[in-house]
Amino acid sequence: MGFKNILLFKTDIRTIEDKQLIAKVMDDNKIDQWTVDQQDIDCVLRIVSDKLKLTDIIQLVSRNGYLCEELT
Amino acid sequence: MRVRDLNKVELVKQKAIELLVSDGFEGFTMNKLAKACKLSVATLYIYYEDKDDLILKIGIEEVQRMVAIMLEDFDPELPFAEGLRQQWKNRAKCMIENPLSAQMIEQLRNSTYQDKMFENFKKIFGLPLGKFMQNAVDRGEINAIPLEVYWCVAFAPLYSLIRFHNDGQSLAGSAFVLTDKMIWDTFELVLKALKKINQYGNGL
Repeated sequence: MGFKNILLFKTDIRTIEDKQLIAKVMDDNKIDQWTVDQQDIDCVLRIVSDKLKLTDIIQLVSRNGYLCEELT
Repeated sequence: MRVRDLNKVELVKQKAIELLVSDGFEGFTMNKLAKACKLSVATLYIYYEDKDDLILKIGIEEVQRMVAIMLEDFDPELPFAEGLRQQWKNRAKCMIENPLSAQMIEQLRNSTYQDKMFENFKKIFGLPLGKFMQNAVDRGEINAIPLEVYWCVAFAPLYSLIRFHNDGQSLAGSAFVLTDKMIWDTFELVLKALKKINQYGNGL
């Protein structure tokens, strides 16, 4: 089983409102395979995509006022 | 391309079960798990979407594995005493050899994960066991009683013994080790309780 193109980020998408806002951003950008772990201290954003790059997501999320760094 | 490493997945699963049992669902975090596995948090998120996804997937896999052990060599068409004996054998093996998994499943049963977890499990497990009881009723081996009542008499004594065994102590706090003799003596008592008595006062 190969898991390819999984992009992982440390964020501050912490509240339900934050998540709703990000949901809209993802929707507008046709990103449908995404989850954010709000039980985690780093609110890890996980995106499965063949096309998108790390920098695309960092720009997109940052532009909307949230912290977004690659999770290492 | 990042490839899923099966040894790593197995390690994550083992450590996750240990942590879930020791720290509970609230105390469990991806960070703690990553540390226990000596992996990066990112690696865990390659395998699992989030904490809930991890708990559910690992929980479901463990339940499936345990159910397979519990149904080994069991046929709902078996005569009552024989079928029940096989189930005791399987359940004892399953829970004594996998104490941590058994405990985690018990925790899941009492949690908000319950609905999602046990949906499939009920069908796979409930059907043959229900059928086995119904067959025994139809053959006149046991009285018709609700499945829950049957379950309590048939298995709760075994589960209590195994709990004492896994805790390593009995009610009074003294050391306790469950022996085969205790299991099968208890089994005979349970059998006596469930089996229908005929007009001559003998079990069938």
